[in-house]
Amino acid sequence: MTEPREPLRRIVIVGGGQVGVLAAIAMRRALPLCEVIVVGQMPSPASFADWSPGALPMTNKLHDRLGIGEQDIVRRAGGSHRLVTRYTGWGEGGQDGVLSFGESLDPALKTAFAREWGGGQRHTAGPRSAGSIAEVLADAERFAPPPQDQPTPISNVDFALRWNPIAYRALLIEHAQALKVQYVEGEIDAVEPGEVNTFSAVRITGQGRIEGDLFIDCSGPAASLLASHPKFAMTDWSATLPTRQIFLSRPGSPVISLADRFSVVGAGWMSEVYGRDGMQRMLGVGANTDRNTALAALGAPAAALVSLAPGRVAAPWLGNVVAIGDAAARFEPLGPYHLDLAHRQLALLLEMLPGREIEPLERAEYNRRSVLMMEGLHEVLAMHFAAAGAKRVFGDLPLPNSLEQVLDQFIRRGRIPFREESPLAPQEQFALLVALGFAPGSPPASRAGGGGSQEAARADFAARAEHALQFAPPYEQWLASALQAQRIN
Amino acid sequence: MDTAANSPVRVVVLGGGTAGWMTAAGIARMLPGLAKVQLVESEDIGIVGVGEATLPHIRSFVEKLGIDEAAFMKATHATFKLGIDFRDFGRIGESYIHPFGSFGEELKGVGFHHYWLELQRQGLARPLGDYSLAVTAALANRFRPPAQDDTLGSTYGYAYQFDATLFGPFMREFGTSIGVERHEGLVTSVERDSESGDVTALCLNDGRRIEGDLFIDCSGFRSLLLGQELGAGWEDWTHWLPCDRAAAMPCAHATDDIRPYTTATAMPAGWRWQIPLQHRMGNGYVFSSAHLSEDEACETIRASAEGKPLADPRILRFRPGRRTQSWSHNVIGVGLASGFLEPLESTSIYLAQMAITYLIELFPIGGGIDSRDRDEFNRLVDMEYDRVRDFLILHYNATTRDDSDFWNHVRTMKVPDSLADKLELWRRAGRIEKYSDGLFYDASWIAVYVGQGLLPERYDPRPALADPQNLSRAAEQLHAAIAQEVAAMPQHREFLNQEAARIAQAA
Repeated sequence: MTEPREPLRRIVIVGGGQVGVLAAIAMRRALPLCEVIVVGQMPSPASFADWSPGALPMTNKLHDRLGIGEQDIVRRAGGSHRLVTRYTGWGEGGQDGVLSFGESLDPALKTAFAREWGGGQRHTAGPRSAGSIAEVLADAERFAPPPQDQPTPISNVDFALRWNPIAYRALLIEHAQALKVQYVEGEIDAVEPGEVNTFSAVRITGQGRIEGDLFIDCSGPAASLLASHPKFAMTDWSATLPTRQIFLSRPGSPVISLADRFSVVGAGWMSEVYGRDGMQRMLGVGANTDRNTALAALGAPAAALVSLAPGRVAAPWLGNVVAIGDAAARFEPLGPYHLDLAHRQLALLLEMLPGREIEPLERAEYNRRSVLMMEGLHEVLAMHFAAAGAKRVFGDLPLPNSLEQVLDQFIRRGRIPFREESPLAPQEQFALLVALGFAPGSPPASRAGGGGSQEAARADFAARAEHALQFAPPYEQWLASALQAQRIN
Repeated sequence: MDTAANSPVRVVVLGGGTAGWMTAAGIARMLPGLAKVQLVESEDIGIVGVGEATLPHIRSFVEKLGIDEAAFMKATHATFKLGIDFRDFGRIGESYIHPFGSFGEELKGVGFHHYWLELQRQGLARPLGDYSLAVTAALANRFRPPAQDDTLGSTYGYAYQFDATLFGPFMREFGTSIGVERHEGLVTSVERDSESGDVTALCLNDGRRIEGDLFIDCSGFRSLLLGQELGAGWEDWTHWLPCDRAAAMPCAHATDDIRPYTTATAMPAGWRWQIPLQHRMGNGYVFSSAHLSEDEACETIRASAEGKPLADPRILRFRPGRRTQSWSHNVIGVGLASGFLEPLESTSIYLAQMAITYLIELFPIGGGIDSRDRDEFNRLVDMEYDRVRDFLILHYNATTRDDSDFWNHVRTMKVPDSLADKLELWRRAGRIEKYSDGLFYDASWIAVYVGQGLLPERYDPRPALADPQNLSRAAEQLHAAIAQEVAAMPQHREFLNQEAARIAQAA
């Protein structure tokens, strides 16, 4: 007899940051009859996903599904749009590069553009040409979110959102409250075991016990719940990822920009995330960097210092506990990958939502895919440190997983082997490697000649770029009018 | 292999069957200047000519070569294909279509099949195929190419059914027209480099030596270079896929209609194919020689033919499995020389095409073969074969048939671990192991599971929480929209005639 599974009756989410609250919204929407309780507190700044001032394009889809409006984020959570990331100093001799989202390059132009961008000196032969429409728009600081219901010259431009994490969390809490998500603020002092490697309840200091069928650990790097599971184990990434300390600046003056920037500086790497509520800088350094050197390099008053022991949990779903985001993996914030990982893991959990009885094989399948996500990310992060500029600062490190093959295929053939569940599509990995100063080899088919199609593609790109620039307003102007409309309404 | 970086790689293709000419034409078209392609074939050696039915991927191959679809279809007497009708596999008397297309639509992140299982429980479900445009069109014998937008009319794909004995010659004509040099002759010996062991030349029966840098073995089951000369190992899969013979016999059409799909009918010792072409019906019995003699198989295929037989039955012998390395030294096996899986899911031409695509991607550059490229090629080819293999085994294992030794064997055999886990995940939770690389995705697995009566014990909890009336109404609306779409399509034969008239007019 084929029957639906008995649905979960109560889900307990540990961790009240933007990851935990969004997970609660997702669970309530998926299972309207299931009680959802968020337990705990706002995680510390060491939980990068919970303090992430933005995400990647995948989050836009998740937001759509969960009823979180882009307009609301712009109007009420300091939201702004991001089209590209600029990379400076990762390659040789002042090389710079740009990463945009999605399949942005015309395949016929890929190698030609890459040759112009890759490994070359900046501005030696005039400005290099842009590699994507997104980059053209970012260079001109022109953009507006394209209307959904009609094709426009910028409809294919993929974007990510930035926001003020405190205001964004407040917005999510409103949604959670409207959905009757319950909240218990407090600290967990014990977990009660249930049948065969499961938990039956958590005890909150001074507030008694809360039972649950499923526990979602969004507590940040402490993984306070999963770590108390008897089968908990970590997989160490410290040999391949060098960052040990991250200095976070206080927010500087607001900067409206369609781009963020990641640079290699003398002491380590520096990220500059722009936004309406102030530019945030982060400096990542290795184990032996002197504190004063780091503070000087940060160039802004420090707000926090986070120590990092990179790694991931061996299995993110044990018994009836699922860890997502920083509770599952710790690594350097070289982009909003922490929140992106948390959201992709959340989407995976939604896809594979269990019943009250959890099947061992579905747990295994979830863990297989979740681990692929984390190891794919591990490779993408390690690409940064394989770049020549980063090596000068952090030294030579072993390459994780199959990154050696990926780099070899890229350098000799301009080819990116496909990997399941990677955070970046092959085309995006290609663009990232170019931005980091790796020069791609030519694929056999492009060596074989046929120059005509390249000329045509070039002309087509120039025409599309021109249309996009004519269509898109100056971004700052669009933003002002969007906020103005809010005041009138 | 040792050539200067700038001179073209001398590619020698051995074998002039479907795989050989696809490979030669593919390389000559995609890598002009980088490769100089020669092909050695002999009129004394027949071609197997399997793969009358194809998968949608063939379209991109034909397109990449710059071949006009209409001309290609005309030359190979091709018809359109929307999927495969599997009869009597799960149970005698039951059938289902495995379509090139999806069933319904995911709703709130939950796969349509979970909603279908819920409707089924409530007694409100139509057959799963009623929620698929491809299945509904196939059963109505209707066809037109899918829409190029996001509407319902775009939710299917198509492939061709063609005369494989004409496809090879068509590719030969095309290949020679773009510069492939053809040599008629039989290989009498193979020369190899004494140090590296690489193949350096093929010696033909008329005394000619064909030198090369890279040799593509398309010699079929004989696997003259990869298997015989280099001794590449063979992983045998007979214990999972016991069919090792086919009795093929073309017939005339029995009716006026031309089905836009292939039919696979389970038989006591294997299965029978019917592939409708423009001018005839391909017909054959794939069977296990351990369970049925060749004579009996020929007798069966004669007796079961619906149209007038156009030839005597011909026996083909094969063995399922693949080489442990499809690329060894400077020899690459493509097609049957590298592996064989019975044509139950029409994968033969796909598997050749896949190997050609990876070979072009990993083609030697800069004057030599890099072992890293060879390893990468072998990794990709092995993955493709193994995934198709598991999917084929499913068709035999997911059955209740106990009417013959053959079915008793395949029903009770131990399946590969990789398949056992997939089956258990489906049985327990109605979920599909997910991957984006490889050939068959969710919809294909669901079509076979459900079609062969293997329903999961439990499915996603969410559909049961939806309002049953809303659910049922939405499903009925989807079905009505599909029916309307299909009603607007021309009959398959009518569409073929229209196309033929259009081509004639253009010419």
